[in-house]
Amino acid sequence: MNKKIAGIGFGMLILITVIAVLAPWLAPYNPYTDMTATYLKPSAEHLLGTNDIGQDIFSELLYGARTSLAIGFLSAAISIVIGSIVGMLSGWYGGIVDRFLMKVTAFFMTIPFLPTVIILSAFTKPGPVTTSVILGVMSWSGTARIVRSQILSIKNKEYIQTIRGMGASDGYILSRHVLKELLPFFMYRASARVRAGILSESSLSFLGLGSPVVKSWGTIIYYAQAKNALLTDAWVWWILPPGLCIILISCALTMITYGAEEKIDRRLEHS
Amino acid sequence: MNTSIRKRWSHYLILVVAIIVINFFLPRLLPGSPLKSLVGENPGDLTAAQKMGILDAYHLNDPMWKQFLYYLRDLFALNWGNSYSKRQPITDLIISRTGWTLLLAGSNMILSTLIGTALGAWSAFRRKKKKDLSLVISTTILDSIPSFWMAVILLAVFGVKFGWFPIYGAYSMWENHTGFHKIVDILHHLALPLFTMVVTSLMSFFTTSRYSVLQILNEDYVKLAKMRGIPKGRITVWYVMRNTLVPVFTLFMMDVGYLLSGSVLIETVFTYPGLGTLMQEAVKARDYPLIQYTFLLASLLTIAALFLSDVLYDRIDPRLEVQEDE
Repeated sequence: MNKKIAGIGFGMLILITVIAVLAPWLAPYNPYTDMTATYLKPSAEHLLGTNDIGQDIFSELLYGARTSLAIGFLSAAISIVIGSIVGMLSGWYGGIVDRFLMKVTAFFMTIPFLPTVIILSAFTKPGPVTTSVILGVMSWSGTARIVRSQILSIKNKEYIQTIRGMGASDGYILSRHVLKELLPFFMYRASARVRAGILSESSLSFLGLGSPVVKSWGTIIYYAQAKNALLTDAWVWWILPPGLCIILISCALTMITYGAEEKIDRRLEHS
Repeated sequence: MNTSIRKRWSHYLILVVAIIVINFFLPRLLPGSPLKSLVGENPGDLTAAQKMGILDAYHLNDPMWKQFLYYLRDLFALNWGNSYSKRQPITDLIISRTGWTLLLAGSNMILSTLIGTALGAWSAFRRKKKKDLSLVISTTILDSIPSFWMAVILLAVFGVKFGWFPIYGAYSMWENHTGFHKIVDILHHLALPLFTMVVTSLMSFFTTSRYSVLQILNEDYVKLAKMRGIPKGRITVWYVMRNTLVPVFTLFMMDVGYLLSGSVLIETVFTYPGLGTLMQEAVKARDYPLIQYTFLLASLLTIAALFLSDVLYDRIDPRLEVQEDE
């Protein structure tokens, strides 16, 4: 069952990615430059109406997928790279390296996430890359802990001990064999992190900390709320759809993790 | 035991010191004149003498280490300067806001833990399967809903459209309720934000409690107890629920750190006058001193909550002896 769920999740993710990549061709308007009448209701020309400065909301949604996915993937990549390096060094070398790195990890674990991310975003120039770096740097601690514990168990496997005894260097073992063992774990971790990144980005943008010149689902909701879309019926086509997009992609990524979880479990059973 | 508590003390102490230091350096890392972050976006309107006066008043013409000492003195004297967007001392602002956040976030913590755990256990007792498709689907979807979005939708439907709940604030500002009516009024304002928070945060308690109950139900000692004819209710409470307490409390501990995080978003939507809204207003107005000190207080509160639950952890489960360093 899990495999099927993961498959469907993958399908959804690919579909959304294709839409994001093809947004300039799929969108009926360019949401950055094309401006018409403001606050239009949904119609044949504007499927979801227009916003406060006359941009087509449906096109905004399609372009927003690009931002959300890009920030999700970039922040996940940063967080996983930092987390794995820290976890690997910690687990592989042990001793004082381990103790120091685990102290740093514990520090990043207890530091309150959203307030810190907010203050860092407030004090830097907003933009997709900045946001991804901030989110990535603030979210690697969990990965580091899990990678460390995985390394500890891999380290003592017989074949690793054997090639080590044959004179293989640490760099060789870590990059050729240990990384391979960790691959399914990375799959699982990556989809969980991309999902967290997308949700955090939308929260930040909703608080007004996103870049004002880049469309994302969070910023659409932020402007809709700022322009009191709630007091009219406009929220139905202005706030509801971007939220549903976030839910859709988040569900897709969660479903992918179900499949990976099973893979990891099975490996644990066989080891 | 003593060493482990001392070790934890030192961990949290380092954290507090680090946050205080970060709080000192962040605004100083900003490009441009510090005036911008002290008096707002238009320092150009001031005369040179006024500018010097402000720099002197904030000791910004002194060497860095002296500035840091001044900063520490003001920090502990609760002399946190003025918010230029609100034209009020920051300490006053923060003190008046903290209570509301604690009310909202605290009630959420209690309710979501209790309701989530109870629902999880109930669903485990009812269907003793580990995999349940409809449950998987509903938890996946519920878990994917951004809390702020759900808050906005609930506000639009139940606040604006139906008018069942007030649409902003923590109490009716233009009426003078007293006694019982005042409490009802406050609860009425609390209902919608609290509901949103509980629904979006009980999911993790639900899954943890459900999973651990299912696992414990398969343990030999539970099966043996059944065979020995011990009453069902007694098994449920003393054999199963007692052991679910540990994973649930672990989760509670982890969630305490997110207590204020969730609150920032929900408060913003409902313009609930807590620290979260204050932080958001400060961000919107680019009121740097105010951003800085709400961050400081939010962080310190989070750390205090984490520390408290960390100490309580030992009390909950005596089996857990904190491991000494190898």
